[in-house]
Amino acid sequence: MPHRWGMVVDLDRCTGCEACVVACRAENNVPTVGEAEAARGRAIHWIRVERYVDGEFPDVRVKFLPVFCQHCDAAPCEPVCPTYASYHTADGLNAQVYNRCIGTRYCANACPYTVRFFNFFNPVWEKPLHLQLNPDVSVREVGVMEKCTFCVQRIKAAEIAAKAEDRPLRDGEVVPACAQACPSRALVFGDLNDPDSEASRLAGSHRATHLLGELGTQPKVFYLQREGGHDRQDREGDQ
Amino acid sequence: MDRRNFLKTSTVGGAAAALSSCGHPEAPLVRFLPDEELVPGVATWKPSVCPGCRAGCGVLVRVMEGDAEVIRNGQHGVVRMGVAKKLEGNPEHPISQGRLCPRGQAAIQLTYHPDRLGHPLERVGARGSGEYKPLDWDAAISTLVERLRALDDRRAHATLAALTRPLRGVRRELIARFLQAFGAGPPSVFELFSDDVLRRANERSFGRRQLPTFDLSRARYVISFGADFLGTWNSPVAQSAAYGEMRQGRPGIRGTFVQVEPRMSQTGANADRWVPVRPGTEGVLALGLAHVMLQRGLASASSGAAVGALIDGWDAGLPAYAPEAVERETGVAARRIARLASELAADRPAVAIIGGAPLAHTNGFFNAIAVNALNAVLDSVGRPGGMRFMPEARITLPEVRSETSTASSAAREQSFSLLRDRMRGVTGPGVEVLLLYDANPVFAAPRAWRIREALAQVPFIVSFGSFLDDTSTFADLILPDHSFLESWMDDAPESGSDRAVVSVAAPAMRPLHDTRATADVLLEIARQLGGRVSTALPWHSYEDALRAAVQSVDAGASADAKTSADVWTLVQQQGGWWTETLESSSSEMKRAAGASIRRATPRFDGDETEYPFHFLPYPSQAFLDGSLAHLPWMQELPDVLSTAMWGTWVEINPRTAERLGVSQGDLVEVASSQGRLEAPALVSPGIAPDVVAMPVGQGHRTFTRYASGRGANPVALLAPLVEPESGTLAWAATRVRVARKGRGRLTLFAGGLRERPGGVTR
Ligand code: SF4
Ligand code: SF4
Repeated sequence: MPHRWGMVVDLDRCTGCEACVVACRAENNVPTVGEAEAARGRAIHWIRVERYVDGEFPDVRVKFLPVFCQHCDAAPCEPVCPTYASYHTADGLNAQVYNRCIGTRYCANACPYTVRFFNFFNPVWEKPLHLQLNPDVSVREVGVMEKCTFCVQRIKAAEIAAKAEDRPLRDGEVVPACAQACPSRALVFGDLNDPDSEASRLAGSHRATHLLGELGTQPKVFYLQREGGHDRQDREGDQ
Repeated sequence: MDRRNFLKTSTVGGAAAALSSCGHPEAPLVRFLPDEELVPGVATWKPSVCPGCRAGCGVLVRVMEGDAEVIRNGQHGVVRMGVAKKLEGNPEHPISQGRLCPRGQAAIQLTYHPDRLGHPLERVGARGSGEYKPLDWDAAISTLVERLRALDDRRAHATLAALTRPLRGVRRELIARFLQAFGAGPPSVFELFSDDVLRRANERSFGRRQLPTFDLSRARYVISFGADFLGTWNSPVAQSAAYGEMRQGRPGIRGTFVQVEPRMSQTGANADRWVPVRPGTEGVLALGLAHVMLQRGLASASSGAAVGALIDGWDAGLPAYAPEAVERETGVAARRIARLASELAADRPAVAIIGGAPLAHTNGFFNAIAVNALNAVLDSVGRPGGMRFMPEARITLPEVRSETSTASSAAREQSFSLLRDRMRGVTGPGVEVLLLYDANPVFAAPRAWRIREALAQVPFIVSFGSFLDDTSTFADLILPDHSFLESWMDDAPESGSDRAVVSVAAPAMRPLHDTRATADVLLEIARQLGGRVSTALPWHSYEDALRAAVQSVDAGASADAKTSADVWTLVQQQGGWWTETLESSSSEMKRAAGASIRRATPRFDGDETEYPFHFLPYPSQAFLDGSLAHLPWMQELPDVLSTAMWGTWVEINPRTAERLGVSQGDLVEVASSQGRLEAPALVSPGIAPDVVAMPVGQGHRTFTRYASGRGANPVALLAPLVEPESGTLAWAATRVRVARKGRGRLTLFAGGLRERPGGVTR
């Protein structure tokens, strides 16, 4: 059976620290664009932390929500691409073939999660910052779309290592950069086709939901909702 | 590196090109990947120590082959060598446990920063102008040696001084011992967001001058007074790891978390109950909670007898802290106080934390003692799910005896205020030579402390830092350190684990530039000075000194290491040394002692009518106190609560903003008795109407191409009020006024979900 890679995000563990955000940039050669371009909405973040703010002072509630490509089984970005640059791999990844991409940006418009980013110009690493670039990940040039790959280079490396030792991949052997960095272990990656994987087990939690699941995108990312129901009671009791 | 350049420059290769500062050739482990063993595309992992903050997280560095343009023996060239590609947490390390915070992830940019200083520099322009000319190491070191010899000739030894960022371990000790052997006073430390108030309070309450460690993973109820313990405070990685377990690590048990603070921090945003409180009244609230528990018999006064007894009125059940009285002072409803107290009493183990702004008031010491007393009432001290102190495993340099004196570890430090007065000639001895290591008080100290003027009085300043910043541009001579990845490293965390921990690491890669490890430079200077200084510092290199210190630890405490040589090998393999067994340190705590402590009300600078708002500067998620503002990854990190990048902002409550006619992004002027600044407004519901807040970190005059002249520095508004017990700056005690100036600009990261436009960023 092929793998079916997925991620579980425990919103009760996520603290909004953004270690995942920087780890992703470091791993995947995601460029910084500088203030002027960032002000034009051209900053690139394969993973970001959204915040939902609810209520007014002093009854304010915030929820953090790490958002990245949901690797949807019914991905809206795929059918709109005229060059099949956005396509589905056999193990369920929503992949982006950079040298097929001609930059129509239809996929970005189709994606309801706003996780696809366009390279409006060639990226710059002022020397010697370029020495940090990860040789396992291609640097994207002007005119192509990019987004979270579930750290496909790490998946491939683990598969090759397992094959060399003639054994199946172990659960937990593939860890994307964001999940590896996360101090509170809010991100768990694994094979959803393996019922014993930690990701599968957590995805079966009563707290598991999909982001915008109602759109029918069939994401492979699960969000475990935050708990803590007695907050409202506390408020009503006091004020 | 393009091909043309590659062909033009000569290739300087091989291990033979290593600098002399890299240690003995006969040392047992090979520190650099020998070039021939580099396999293209295959990564090697080496331990290191994160330099980002005081947490001292253990790091693993992913090293791969790369072509680096380097300088070797004064010659430019390209070397195919192992270069660092990515930092991860070291899974074996008890503090980081395989994880890192965002700043630790970005620390790799310290090494590859395009504006890093790559060779010694001598000032040619006016001080502060940043005009320097390059110098070779021999000349640079003799310049400093001559200056020191001149002091020696005039028997003016005491006029040498050192000012550093907080350092620990052998690096700190080498500096301290150098000063001591030369005949100067101990080094001074400058840190804006200092926790010294809490250390002193812990000394009084528990006999331990140390920051506490919290056993959050086993707690069922956590109440934090102002501590951003999941973001920037103390040991955020270790604390976040334990927090994740506290929430979802135990089947059927989910710990509750309450945050008390007037402005919602990243940590506070995760709370089940967020309790805004009047600035400076956190201690009163803590004692209000203790009062209810004592009154209702939810806890007995004896459970916290010694620690609680420090508080005036303890034996009588804290009569002055009844809920109604506490409500009047703190602004927290009496019913809410009662409810929180019963929850605290019921959901054991419960633990209280204090950190950040509550300590930075003029009554910070009282606030800390009050929260310590609450912990005593909760019976959380030294208990599972409570607070404790990390066992100390300091590695120290062996004593060196000579006929005239004994050079040992000078433990103390000289207060920064004393150093300031000395520099300004207010008290003796004056300062004629100042050694400066990465402290930036020109940026991070209040104007009224007149740091520039003080520095101007010092005839000769030497900086060892890797960057030109607001303070190091005053240096006459710059002897740049290696980056942490190119150098030996050591640190001794004071908090974050219940095991004793020392972090030690060999260089992960060879130096890119013509820099030298500061510890090695000091040892070289000691050699050249000769006499008692070289006797006191007999080590050939920082590596030698580290080995001597590490081999002095008790090998028996570690299961895998039988001899001292084993310890040294083990330390290099795993990136440090830590005890195997979990130790209970509660027995080491002494009983509290001293006169009882009365309620202290906070004082504020600025008249309430002229300056109607409390001003709250806070350590920013990206830059902490500003020391990481030069990293482009940190500049482009969207602040998690505002999504702002590349700038500063002023947080204002919506009702206040409406009253002032201010909308999101408008330019506002914030003014205190000390000065004024302008920054765009960020309208946020998570802040009290009478408080305005600003992140610290931007507003550097000089700090590389990425941070110079960017944003505003809130420290410029701070009045020089201090917390009297520790002498540290009361950085939360300034009042300000706010007025709209016009349209401003705030760079936000768009993000958001089109399908749910209303719910996301505000
Ligand atoms: S690293 Fe983990 S805790 Fe931090 S923001 Fe990302 S998912 Fe949340
Ligand atoms: S908490 Fe972050 S900055 Fe501090 S030492 Fe750990 S990884 Fe480095």
